[in-house]
Amino acid sequence: MNKQINNGFRTGLIFGIINIFLILIGFPMVAGTIIKDAIHNDSTVLLGLNADILDMLIFMGLIGLWAGASGGRRLKGEVDTWLDALASSASSGFTNGLLVGGLAYLLGALNDAGVRISVYLAAILPATIKQLLLGKNTLDGALLEFGFLFVTGLLGGALGFALRGQWRKALGDWWKKIWSGFVNSAWVRKIRSHPLFMPAVYALGLVILYIIPQEAGKYWNYTLGTVGIYVLLGLGLNVVVGFAGLLDLGYVAFFAIGAYTVALLTAPNPHHLMWSFWVALPIGIVLAAAAGILLGIPVLRMRGDYLAIVTLGFGEIIRILATSDLLTPFSGGPKGVSAIGGPTLFGKPFSSDKDFVYLIMIGILLTIFVTTQLRSSRVGRAWEAMREDETVARAMGINTLTHKLMAFAIGAAFAGLGGVLFASRNQFTGPEDHNLMVSINVLSVVIVGGMGSIPGVIAGAFALKGLPEVLREVQDYRVLFFGALLVIMMIWRPEGLWPSSRRSMELGKADDNAKKNSGAPGGKP
Amino acid sequence: MSMLEINDIHTYYGNIHALNGISLKVEKGEIVTLIGANGAGKTTTLRTIAGLLKPRQGQVLLEGEDITKLKAHEVVYKGVAMVPEGRGIFARLTVTENLDLGAYSRTDRQNFAQDLERVFTIFPRLKERQKQVAGTLSGGEQQMLAMGRSLMARPRILLMDEPSMGLAPILVESIFDTIVAINKEGTTILLVEQNALMALSIAARGYVLQTGEIVLLDSAANLKQNEMVRKSYLGIE
Ligand SMILES: Nc1ncnc2c1ncn2[C@@H]1O[C@H](COP(=O)(O)OP(=O)(O)OP(=O)(O)O)[C@@H](O)[C@H]1O
Ligand SMILES: [Mg+2]
Repeated sequence: MNKQINNGFRTGLIFGIINIFLILIGFPMVAGTIIKDAIHNDSTVLLGLNADILDMLIFMGLIGLWAGASGGRRLKGEVDTWLDALASSASSGFTNGLLVGGLAYLLGALNDAGVRISVYLAAILPATIKQLLLGKNTLDGALLEFGFLFVTGLLGGALGFALRGQWRKALGDWWKKIWSGFVNSAWVRKIRSHPLFMPAVYALGLVILYIIPQEAGKYWNYTLGTVGIYVLLGLGLNVVVGFAGLLDLGYVAFFAIGAYTVALLTAPNPHHLMWSFWVALPIGIVLAAAAGILLGIPVLRMRGDYLAIVTLGFGEIIRILATSDLLTPFSGGPKGVSAIGGPTLFGKPFSSDKDFVYLIMIGILLTIFVTTQLRSSRVGRAWEAMREDETVARAMGINTLTHKLMAFAIGAAFAGLGGVLFASRNQFTGPEDHNLMVSINVLSVVIVGGMGSIPGVIAGAFALKGLPEVLREVQDYRVLFFGALLVIMMIWRPEGLWPSSRRSMELGKADDNAKKNSGAPGGKP
Repeated sequence: MSMLEINDIHTYYGNIHALNGISLKVEKGEIVTLIGANGAGKTTTLRTIAGLLKPRQGQVLLEGEDITKLKAHEVVYKGVAMVPEGRGIFARLTVTENLDLGAYSRTDRQNFAQDLERVFTIFPRLKERQKQVAGTLSGGEQQMLAMGRSLMARPRILLMDEPSMGLAPILVESIFDTIVAINKEGTTILLVEQNALMALSIAARGYVLQTGEIVLLDSAANLKQNEMVRKSYLGIE
């Protein structure tokens, strides 16, 4: 029993801390807005509750249920009876409630005392505090919040317990039966073995990709485009970091080169060249790749940390050069370049947000094709060896310098493509588009998604760029959000959201193998 | 013409003068061993031959051709393979992938399957464990993999850096048997060993290295009888 309570306490602590963090960045209020949007009850008063408070209750309720359920779940073999589950979830809910209720009380008391908390924490407005206190006064509200989390915790524990064991197994078995019955049935097999099956699947995929931008509105197409560009950048950086194992923190430099190329070549100012987008596009890509090689030649002899620092510097240099007095007449300076040209198709403009989603998708498909081909080629094998052990790779006859340069140039080329598309879509680019955060964001996309994994990078881009875009209000806290997400990911899923099969093998199965082969030492001595 | 000849090599690590004018020869088809205490410069010698380190002075000749200035990967293409110190297998790749990388320098990919079979005949254990991640192999298996991988390059000369390190006596013997077998198939071998007794029992000739200088060279049989060698490297009073 002690064990269950202890365990619940720890779970509650984790949930409570995460919850406090979310509250401090204003997340529950944003989540509340989304809940409101989802069920369209802007001002309806339900159950005698004001909508804001209802949203808060829904959000907190979900967290509470989750905390309770995982409080009961963490001890796999140890939660055998209802009593165990309830003890564990009660302790989890209690701790969670105590932390959050305590925070609510603290904020409420400070607010009552006339302290303007929003000066320090922008998300904590008096109205927010009121919402957190569920519309009551400080003490009552805090107690209510505590009680609510405690009760939902208990409920979550009970629910989790009920749904595990036989119920869950029954549900799983039922599903398995249906699924295997479906997969093994004669007609499904016949279809799957048909030579046109895979082409048909691809065709269907393309049709879906075609339809999505048609159906999405302007806002969603804009968001999709942004996420798509990050997918593109992530896939490119994945070649450098994931395949070749080179830590490049100046990736934004190549993105900037692509963006400035299309800007300076197609915009009326500062050069009045007004070239076609389609001419500027390949030039941007080639220039970015060339910059990759140019930067690569001096720095790729360095290893690890040094490489990271030097590339970091290079990333900043492009931006600083662009804003310098010296280059302002050439680059548009701090004000940036506007009225950048967009693509045309058969003489008609093809540059709405929707059109760009298509262009970006084509870019992504191209990138996926190129990177998968590369990975399974001789070059890919050389990268793999190099990433594992550079010296031994050289002793195998691998020219590590040219292979590093190749990775750098290819990654840079995709960044250039991303930059061209980004600047052209926004019809503007300026130094602020190219700060260090871009490099960090893209690197986070790669790491969170799963280094070396192509679907992982896509998932990572949606998680890191898509989510904050959806939760517009937390944008200001994106850095915090990233940080928290990265830490959580590193603890819970060090291999990334969707790891490459290799990485999951290393981190999971490899251990099992080592155990199976009894006493075999893992890794290098 | 000697398979390998190095003349008056001086290699530095920064200011540290690690090799102070080393010369040695390995004839075609020979096993030659290089023995010496820890830090004598054995690994440095092999790394210099392999092109991983550049000597400030001196020459490395492979069948008369000067390869001193070649880069490490170019040296491999000339037919020099290495079993690195501490094995240096790619721990996170599978056995097959490791062997595949061993053949990276080969232009005749059509012989790949045949070479793989050859390695599996020499090391049946590796065949059983083709799909296993190399880092999870036992120490002995990792050594077999490192040797197998070097054979995949079909080298003219094989540089081996302490292949017996960390292995149980029974395994050491079988590793040495394998070295002899590989040599019989026609690969010239330069063997660096701590286990001087074993090394001298399979080698034709030996060199003794002391703080970056060759202090003794003789036939293996004579070296075994040599007072200084017996004291310092064979542990016999
Ligand atoms: N990377 C390095 N940087 C600086 N000094 C080095 C480096 N590698 C080796 N040395 C030094 O060079 C000398 C020769 O080292 P080497 O590795 O060749 O010895 P070794 O004969 O192979 O020894 P062991 O039997 O212990 O492997 C040693 O004094 C060592 O400290
Ligand atoms: Mg050594």
